[in-house]
Amino acid sequence: MLTVTYSFADSMEREAREVARGLRNRDPEVLDRLIEQFQYRLFRYLIYLAGSRETAEDLFQETWMRVLEKGHLYNGKSRFETWLFAIARNLFIDLVRQRKASVSLDELVDPEKAGTVDIPASETTLPTERLFREEENRLVATALGCLPAVYREVLVLRFQEDLALDEIAAIVAAPLSTVKSRLYRSLELLREALEETKS
Amino acid sequence: MSENTHERAEQLILQSQAENLTTADLKWLEAHLASCPACARRAAATDHAIRSIRSVSVRVNPALVEMTRLRVRRRALELGRRRLPGIWLWIASAVSWAWIAASVSCLWRFFGWMAHRVGIPSPFWQMGFALWWAVPALVLAAVLSMQSLQDESPIAGITNGS
Repeated sequence: MLTVTYSFADSMEREAREVARGLRNRDPEVLDRLIEQFQYRLFRYLIYLAGSRETAEDLFQETWMRVLEKGHLYNGKSRFETWLFAIARNLFIDLVRQRKASVSLDELVDPEKAGTVDIPASETTLPTERLFREEENRLVATALGCLPAVYREVLVLRFQEDLALDEIAAIVAAPLSTVKSRLYRSLELLREALEETKS
Repeated sequence: MSENTHERAEQLILQSQAENLTTADLKWLEAHLASCPACARRAAATDHAIRSIRSVSVRVNPALVEMTRLRVRRRALELGRRRLPGIWLWIASAVSWAWIAASVSCLWRFFGWMAHRVGIPSPFWQMGFALWWAVPALVLAAVLSMQSLQDESPIAGITNGS
């Protein structure tokens, strides 16, 4: 068991180093592979963060352009997705600042500023399954729309990306205690919002 | 049951979703949930909220992915081409300096000897010597200018993308 854990960690480390080398050389093949591998996760994170599909699509492209340009800064010591999400987050903050002078993501905690989350439904084969999914997605999207961006963000990072708390702290550039309190608060808010949405 | 007990239960319900509880806390919470329907409902609602988030699936537009890939490839190409002249410039400069350092004394004597034999006045052959020195740099500058002119034309449309 221990050997399996070691070899898994070793292969992860080796992969991160290869990615770092590829990014340093701006290798198009490596970038292609990364876009393919992380497209879904990055887009989902952006949707949760931005709440709008159009904004998420713009940020999706800009994030990969930034990955190309700043790729030499990735050292391969952390997981690539942690670095990727941090880039996406910074671009989102820049966008918010452009739209509204001197606003940071941390200041977007006023629930009145929250809107809806435009979640494009996944394609499923069966119509009934699709209907159910669409309905479920709609309910969750409405509930998530009641939450400010900082809370939506920790929810997706913890429960969809399954990132560890210290990795989330690295992405959102906040102390671990802040991440925990945000996570607890976001769960409370989501629970209430879901109950309200259903009733 | 006191208000503090429910507050503690609520705190542990939330905490258990983010990190592992101690055995003592876990036992306490389980015992409390078994005896308090309100907190048990809250724990179930929290589980449901997390399941709801996990159930959400998002579709990425394939055209968006393709466009992104294209933009990234083109930009990588552009950045690669921009970097190339820089490398060549350094190599050429190094070779040029080495050439100057190695040949300066011999050339000075050779130019002086030739000028003396042909009868050219000192200022003229000294100017010729300076030109001889400048030739590698001038050739290099011309090559680099031509290269950058060639590079600019196909890439101009690419950087603006899409």
